[in-house]
Amino acid sequence: MSVSPPPFSSTSDLTPDATKPRWGTRWLGPLVLLGPAGLWLLLLLVLPTLVIFQLSLVPNIRPGDIVNPSGIDNYLLVFNPTNFRVIVRSLGLAVGTTLLCLGLGFPVAYWIAVLAPKRWRNLLLLGFILPLWTSSLLRTYAWITILRPTGVLNSILSTIGLPTLEILNRTPAVLVGMSYSFLPYMVLILYSSLEKLDRALLEASADLGATPPQTFWKITVPQALPGIAAGSLLVFITSLGDFIDPELLGGASSMTVARLIYNQFLGQTQNWGFGSALSVVLIFAVSLSIALLLKYGDSSATQR
Amino acid sequence: MPSTRLSFSGGHSTRRQFLKASAAAASGLALSSCGWTLANVRTNVRTASDVLYIYTWAGYTDRELIDQFYKETQIRVIADVFSSNEEMLAKVQAGAGGAYSVIYPSDYMVRRQIDLNMLMELDKSRLPGLDRLFPKFRDPSYDRDNRYSVPLSWGTTGLIYNRKALNPPPTDWQYLWDYQQQLTKRLTLLNDQREVFGAVLRSLGYSYNSTNPDEIRAAYEKLVRLKPAIAAFNSDAWRTQILTGDLKIAMCYSSDANEITPENTDLAYVHPESGSSIWTDALVIPRTAPNIEGAYAWLEFMLRPEVAARICERLSFATPNATAFELLPREVQTNTTLFPPESAIEKSESLEPIPPDVGEIYNRYWTKLTSG
Repeated sequence: MSVSPPPFSSTSDLTPDATKPRWGTRWLGPLVLLGPAGLWLLLLLVLPTLVIFQLSLVPNIRPGDIVNPSGIDNYLLVFNPTNFRVIVRSLGLAVGTTLLCLGLGFPVAYWIAVLAPKRWRNLLLLGFILPLWTSSLLRTYAWITILRPTGVLNSILSTIGLPTLEILNRTPAVLVGMSYSFLPYMVLILYSSLEKLDRALLEASADLGATPPQTFWKITVPQALPGIAAGSLLVFITSLGDFIDPELLGGASSMTVARLIYNQFLGQTQNWGFGSALSVVLIFAVSLSIALLLKYGDSSATQR
Repeated sequence: MPSTRLSFSGGHSTRRQFLKASAAAASGLALSSCGWTLANVRTNVRTASDVLYIYTWAGYTDRELIDQFYKETQIRVIADVFSSNEEMLAKVQAGAGGAYSVIYPSDYMVRRQIDLNMLMELDKSRLPGLDRLFPKFRDPSYDRDNRYSVPLSWGTTGLIYNRKALNPPPTDWQYLWDYQQQLTKRLTLLNDQREVFGAVLRSLGYSYNSTNPDEIRAAYEKLVRLKPAIAAFNSDAWRTQILTGDLKIAMCYSSDANEITPENTDLAYVHPESGSSIWTDALVIPRTAPNIEGAYAWLEFMLRPEVAARICERLSFATPNATAFELLPREVQTNTTLFPPESAIEKSESLEPIPPDVGEIYNRYWTKLTSG
């Protein structure tokens, strides 16, 4: 019996093998690459979220009770006037912060990306995001020092003979603190979008007789729209969940959704079910806005 | 995650059983209808006898105390702090309960933890210092005969104010409404709904612990009228604000007031005439405590008159310990912030646990108040 030597793989053998690797090898790569992070997400994000969802379906649950989903009462509670007003307030604060960040961030990003000398750009950008390296709590305390009745701002104002301002413990202080906290995110995203601005189009627009405002609104803004949408959304989502700024700067009317959720777990009345329902509503609202961004953000990107 | 109760048959479990069990656990956690118990506290495996974990208020222990205890017992104390009784309860129930040997709840929370069957009944023969307490602390209403708890400190809730900024000086809660125009955004109240509502209820002539919805609504309406004057609800931040002059008056605990009045002689504490709350912070040993020997050693140590007197002076809170009181210097004994006259105490009440449905009423008004 003669054993034929193991055939060297011919090209005809190799080609199908290379294009259609076997099941094991085809999945091994992605599995190794995605497995650890996937497991991480599954254990620390997906499962806890499902637990929250399950808790949200148990009315009046308190620690020590059996978790036995039985209805949507908690969700009805979310929409009673008292709680709904808190949600609307939080949404209002988040929208306000987003608009402020956009208004303040766009000129800065435009200047860094378009007008500033190229060799300075990275340094400028770095300088702008430098505050992000400090703790957000610290930055909020700094604002207290500035805004308090006898603080830095009012000392300066009274020195130069202007009337003093009562900002701390009112809504404007919350907006100041939140927009300061989230402005760097907005600038970073707008910068990366404006950096890719097609200058040739701007010149063509000017050549064809458009005034600078016309060029800005019809050429620059549409090109930056995906960046504007992404930046606004990021700021909106982060400020919706912000806890520190309203709590420390907002004074007596500082209730937000985040604080309301906190109260359900660590406050005087423990209602983990209602807290979970609020969380689910918040998660849903945020997911919805991300879905909207994916849908409309993309279409505006392809239109140019 | 807590208690999808799994039991492996015998001491050995095969891999397959393990997989089955974990699958069951996972599905049980995710979406089962059979239900799991929310937040079961189990004894921690951490039982080393030379370490003692305590769960306490900020400012209730310091290096000197811990070092002295270590020198005597060779037990190293590790203290975690909480900022409210509710936070403590939630964390203990969420699973941290098995970690601590000694916890420092306040009166009404002791009651609640007793009702939740979380506390160990104390063996009095190991706590000889208990009979050195003032008589009223030997039989407190929240825990008759100190079966589960050892009182550590007490105090009242009242008002701290700046003498230079307020004329006439406040004497009662009603002052806040009478002189509201002077106080616009120069007043803080505690960030504690029961204390705030309690004070207003008291000013209306009702009980600090009212469970009557009409009375609670009246208190809410009165608070709404005060709202323009209130800068914030906070329990700690007022300290720096009143020292810098940003506040004229703040609702606070007597122990905190006693700590900061020496820093500025213009500041004074007043115990409201119509009465306020009187609170006791106690030491308890949870049922699930590791290192019970160490826990008793700590309780016994804290009951010693010399130790109690020293921390009363150093950490500035009133001691319920009669023998320790005798050891205090004259000026501490006569400090009315720490030890208010008996007439003031008579009108005060301690916070009592309230039924959950009444708690919801308070909670709803609080949310309305702070979001308006």
